[in-house]
Amino acid sequence: MSTSMNEKGQYKNRVELLQGTLDMLILQTLQWGPQHGYGIVQALRLRSGDVLQVETGSLYPALHRLERQGWVQSEWKQSESKQKARYYRITAKGKKQLVKDLGRWERIVEAIGSVMYVKPEESAS
Amino acid sequence: MKWFSNFGSQRRNRELQQEIDAHLEMAIADRVERGETAEAARQAAVREFGNILLVQDVTRQMWGGAWFEQLGRDVRYALRQLRKSPGFTITATAMLAVAICANSTVFSWIDGTMLRPIPGARDAGDLVSLQRGERNFSPVPPFSYLDYRDLREQNHTFAGMLAYHNDWIALTGGAQPERVYIANVSANYFDVLGVKPVLGRFFLPEEESRAIPNVVLGYSLWKTRYAKDPAIVGKSIEVSRHPVTVIGVAPEGFVGAAPGLRDDLWVTLDPLGNDVWRRTHRDSDWLILIGRLRPGVSRGQAAQDLDTQMNHIVAAYPDQHLGANQITLDPMWRSPFGANGYMAATLPILLAFAAVVLLLTCANVATLTLVRFVSRRRELAIRQSLGANRIQLVRQMTLEGVVLSIVAGTAALILTSWTSKTFAWFFRASSAPINLNGSMDHNVVIGIAVFSLLAGMLCGALPAWRSSHAPAIEVLKAESANISGGSHNRRLLSALVVAQIALSLPLLLCSGLLLRTLRNLAGANPGFERDHILTASVGLNIAGYSHDEAQLIRHQILDRVSALPGVKVASLTDWIPMTLIQKRSDAYPEGYVPHPHESLLVENAEVGPRYFESLHIPILEGREFTLNDDEKGPGVIIVDQTAARHYWPGQHPLGKRLRVGGGLLTVVGVARNSTHTFVNESPEPMVYISFFQHPGYETMVQVKTEGNPVDLAPAVENAIHEIDPRMPVFDVRSMRESSHLASSFAVIESTLAGMFALIGLVLAVTGIYGVVAYRTQMRTHEIGVRVALGASRVDVLKLVLLQGVWLTGVGLAMGLAFALGLTRLIARLLYGIGANDPVTMASVITLLGTMSLLACYFPARRAMLRNPVIAIHEL
Repeated sequence: MSTSMNEKGQYKNRVELLQGTLDMLILQTLQWGPQHGYGIVQALRLRSGDVLQVETGSLYPALHRLERQGWVQSEWKQSESKQKARYYRITAKGKKQLVKDLGRWERIVEAIGSVMYVKPEESAS
Repeated sequence: MKWFSNFGSQRRNRELQQEIDAHLEMAIADRVERGETAEAARQAAVREFGNILLVQDVTRQMWGGAWFEQLGRDVRYALRQLRKSPGFTITATAMLAVAICANSTVFSWIDGTMLRPIPGARDAGDLVSLQRGERNFSPVPPFSYLDYRDLREQNHTFAGMLAYHNDWIALTGGAQPERVYIANVSANYFDVLGVKPVLGRFFLPEEESRAIPNVVLGYSLWKTRYAKDPAIVGKSIEVSRHPVTVIGVAPEGFVGAAPGLRDDLWVTLDPLGNDVWRRTHRDSDWLILIGRLRPGVSRGQAAQDLDTQMNHIVAAYPDQHLGANQITLDPMWRSPFGANGYMAATLPILLAFAAVVLLLTCANVATLTLVRFVSRRRELAIRQSLGANRIQLVRQMTLEGVVLSIVAGTAALILTSWTSKTFAWFFRASSAPINLNGSMDHNVVIGIAVFSLLAGMLCGALPAWRSSHAPAIEVLKAESANISGGSHNRRLLSALVVAQIALSLPLLLCSGLLLRTLRNLAGANPGFERDHILTASVGLNIAGYSHDEAQLIRHQILDRVSALPGVKVASLTDWIPMTLIQKRSDAYPEGYVPHPHESLLVENAEVGPRYFESLHIPILEGREFTLNDDEKGPGVIIVDQTAARHYWPGQHPLGKRLRVGGGLLTVVGVARNSTHTFVNESPEPMVYISFFQHPGYETMVQVKTEGNPVDLAPAVENAIHEIDPRMPVFDVRSMRESSHLASSFAVIESTLAGMFALIGLVLAVTGIYGVVAYRTQMRTHEIGVRVALGASRVDVLKLVLLQGVWLTGVGLAMGLAFALGLTRLIARLLYGIGANDPVTMASVITLLGTMSLLACYFPARRAMLRNPVIAIHEL
């Protein structure tokens, strides 16, 4: 009981850690066309050069939450390899959200960047 | 969680499983493609995916409705906790079930009578009952047919207005005449009530006042006497020896427009054409009116409208409208016609008693719950320090109370389905077709749900909120000291005990007063002989005799019955006292000029020679009626003391003349006052008219017997049948039995109040016992130390008892204050005893005080007898 609670807690934390960022990555992936969960993992890994390995424990909760928020829609379809899978598609609302997320992301990167790459003389003054 | 999984969430779970399966399949396929073996690929894919169950779990949380699952978890937790202490669970459930059942039973009676005044009628809330003139407990029918017609056609506020007149007749044509209750109704009767026939049709407007012998059968008569004959419509049946045609059958459950009374069949106002007088004269008041308000019209507006119309009528026909003419409207639940006036005076008070019982029970269960929570406070503290928030804890603990009350409510529901039908037990057979019982419908179910929920919140939430208050650190630090759970809980426990005593005192007091009222009523002298009197109704008016034939038969009946061995006196009357039936007509003394709208109604009865002798009512002045006071003799009347004082204060009434119903009657006697309807009524004027001069509508033989009157019943019936075997004889019973009807309500009140008070006493005593025993047990260690340090056993006894005395004292004081308020509610119901009767009050306080102290004594004694060495070692 307690171990499973802890594990659950870990997953939860991870979701929180990536919240927003993971949403943005998923929405961006779906911009290129409808995709199922496995496909999203693969796509993110490929595009990031094997750096971003999304956990299923984060991915599926995120997908279901995005669907509830109306940013993606899902439907069951046959994949190229004749596998029946649930495909997610970004909605118009999701696209707007993506733009917002991206803007925020850029501001954060810029902000973090300006903190991290501070020139010594500026900090002294 | 299975209880809560509905179809939707099952589908979602399946889809999630499929989604994950598809993910795994694709991962395996990719790996196989890259050259791994199937088995290795599968293992790797599963490993890479992670804990599937956990992924499902966290994903599910995204769906929303998580609170629902939380609730399910809490319910399971509550059930587990309740299972752990079966003693508490069973006791608390049983107590709550009884208390909820007490409420729902009374409520089902209210529901079956006041809330469903006319079963089968559409929107009974829009119906109002019309009364003209004086208001009293059982008014006489207030309207004439012509006045009704005018009101119906000239008002601006009613969608419809019906009129009816209750009566009884004999169904002849069979082997034995069968008495049935009948209503003469206006043609729009069924239409205004919104009732549709199951067979045939109801009356047409043009049939209303014409002599067309058509009848509508009631469902149960159609079922019992005509075996649900589907071809009954159009057939001829015999009523009072006249052929009449069945034109329709009323739907099941509909028994007429008079609340609490049953009609077996319906006819128009004068179907046989032998009652022309009363449908053509404005001074013949015989109809009861019910109106359906137009949408959006208030009762007040409608009353004003009718009042205006009535004033026009009175102005046009002043001579036919002596007496009060003011129109008042009542909703059907408290309509003065039928039974609801009595219901409205009795049942709400009983519901208030039942509510006190429920409160009391909640206080008792709350005490038990609080004690349980105190013993669990360590567990609660640990959970709190592990991160459970207070709201969560309170929710879980409250849920235990709610679960209890749901179980108790279900038990009460089952019990009530039986107890709701016990209401009819209180009404003895009588000449009236009383149709009163509780009903078990959705209203009652909703009522039970509300009572249960209320109880659950009261006995769960209060202790839960209190218990969750304890600071976790302190509870965990503290070992055995301060074990009774902190001063907060101690105060709450005391308050709950005090509340129980305070609530049970008024219950006991009221039941004491009502029981003594019942005893006083039974022991009271009604002013007439009730033993050794037999009465029997003879269906003369319904058997189709002419006036002269009937008069002759009455004489024959008197002769034959008087001659029977064992009969001392035989007389005739058209009214039996204390049967809830009253007759009134307008009367005023000779020479008096009545003011317009002055109420002139006076109770009256038609009685034969030797009536007063048979009932042992003394004639104080003058004489009683004789056989010579007949239609040929001069008009005579006998008045009672109240009437004599009312009409001729300070004068000799003998020889004075009174105008009653058009005739001028000379007073020949003054009778002593006697009870008319209730022993505890305030005396009303009563005038007696000679039966052979003005034959009553009913012919009842009244016999004074030597032995048990019931033994003579067959002989009396035989003697009447010897005159004409087809003559129907009904309601042969002793006066003692007939007069029980008048005390039905006192019996209902005292029975229920007594039962409720007993429950209250048991709860209060067990409540104080439980708390004192519990606290004493918690102080075992302390008491051990005291004894070891030299306290005597008497000191220990005092220590414990004092606590109980204090609680009892405060409870009694508060209860007394509460009781003084509550007894004022029942003051109207009492007889021969004041609402603040000191003897009853003292005995109730003594009873409750003694029982409470006794309840404290046992734990005190146990503590006193403990071995202090062992006690010290105990926690």
